[in-house]
Amino acid sequence: MHSPKNKISVLTYPSLAEASALIEKAFAQRRTLVVAGNCHVHYAGRANSTLEYGERLLIIKSDGSLLVHRPTGYEPVNWQPSGSVFHVEVKGEKLEVHGVRQKPRETVKVDFTEILMASALNLADSGEFLLHASEDDMHRAILLKPELLEEGFKPISWEKHVEPGFVDIYGEDKDGKLVIVEVKRRTASKENVLQLAKYIEPIKAKTRRSVRAILAAPSLAKDVQRLLVSMGLEFKAVDPKKCAQVLHKASNSKLESFFKEN
Amino acid sequence: MFKLKVSDAKLLRDMATAISILVDEATFKIESDGLKLRAMDPSRVAMIDFEWPKSVFQEYEATEPTKICLNISELLKLLKRAGKDESVELGLDDKTGKLLVTIMGKYARKFTMSMLEPSEEEVPTPKISFNVKAKTTTSGLSQAIEDAQLVSDHVKIEAETDKITLSATGDIMGATITIQKGTDALLDLEVKENAKATFSLSYLSEIIKAAAASSEIATLEFSTDMPVKIDFQQAKEGKLTFFLAPRIETE
Repeated sequence: MHSPKNKISVLTYPSLAEASALIEKAFAQRRTLVVAGNCHVHYAGRANSTLEYGERLLIIKSDGSLLVHRPTGYEPVNWQPSGSVFHVEVKGEKLEVHGVRQKPRETVKVDFTEILMASALNLADSGEFLLHASEDDMHRAILLKPELLEEGFKPISWEKHVEPGFVDIYGEDKDGKLVIVEVKRRTASKENVLQLAKYIEPIKAKTRRSVRAILAAPSLAKDVQRLLVSMGLEFKAVDPKKCAQVLHKASNSKLESFFKEN
Repeated sequence: MFKLKVSDAKLLRDMATAISILVDEATFKIESDGLKLRAMDPSRVAMIDFEWPKSVFQEYEATEPTKICLNISELLKLLKRAGKDESVELGLDDKTGKLLVTIMGKYARKFTMSMLEPSEEEVPTPKISFNVKAKTTTSGLSQAIEDAQLVSDHVKIEAETDKITLSATGDIMGATITIQKGTDALLDLEVKENAKATFSLSYLSEIIKAAAASSEIATLEFSTDMPVKIDFQQAKEGKLTFFLAPRIETE
């Protein structure tokens, strides 16, 4: 691992030559580069574009992707995907950064007349990005791990067509009662309760078994509890984050978790 | 300074092919006793452990331990230009500090290749006590994996005393492949304890396909829900071993 002191190098108001040396080294060492300064950007490839001089941020990541950000807006104004090859040189009064991508052939040229800040970062990041579950993911998680809803629940079908619409999950509980489940990703509202209630009668009409209707959501709106009970429905708290974990666990594990003896 | 000469370019090409399955930028260690590489793929699910003792080489000189990092697909491009019975030599070009690849056959070709910053990461090997050891032919294993791939993207491998079962379940099809001990596909099987684990088929098939060029016998070792270790026996001396982490299914 790298020692903390070579994690970052920062230059403020460097000369073009100083900045060029830092940038060149950052390319060789595949560091993440962040440069702020007055620059002009020319792109040629699938289209051509020119961005006139202005003060912006140039970011080149360790995988060879490039982003040029203006001081506002979340989207970069110019960008190149990973795999570009970079080159820096000082030509007269300008510092030029060239990025070339082979397939498709694309080139970006960023000319700086003045550099405010240049930094090379050695960032370690092996964390994973966990997107919290969508409603669909919550369905899948409950099907994969029915205990999320309750112990002994057995799903039979999902997106089951029952007039007047579709039941999210349809199954039976440990006592053999039919269970219909409506899944919501957000706090369940009065409308959600009424929506679920509509399914009970049509299902009861077709079976002699008793039917339970469960609203599964992270939480229930305050004033809805009484309505829910009076209509004979139940509420179960299901956490979308937990659902995401269930789905995630079903994917591949990492080798690192086996490096240490259990 | 180093000079590594391999009499048959194909050997080196097959080795680079196997490595390229998992890594784009390969950091090799050139040590006094041989050439080594141990690396994980970017998603950190699989690992390669490779070693060629110096006896594999026609000539092997390493004045001091060195690390070099190469873009493996660029190296492969060069090696693909080498024909049968041509030799390949890897060395350092003193003037430029680049890698010098010399291919010698009917005529001599010299290529230079930029080297990358070597990775500092020291990759350990997973610590696992394996309950199953299965010796298979690489071709038999490869066939079974291809069968499973028809129906799914992952496969459950189960071992019992006298057989190995691969089962895959897809959305519309399922497959069960049984390989009995003592058949051409399963040469030997030692089972301390029955075991089952599930693995990604895309990794398995890529690894096996790439290693098949240099190896006819593969030894699989695994335990329940643990990584599988696949060791590909090399024609000459040397080691080519892969580890692949299991898929963990929720109960």
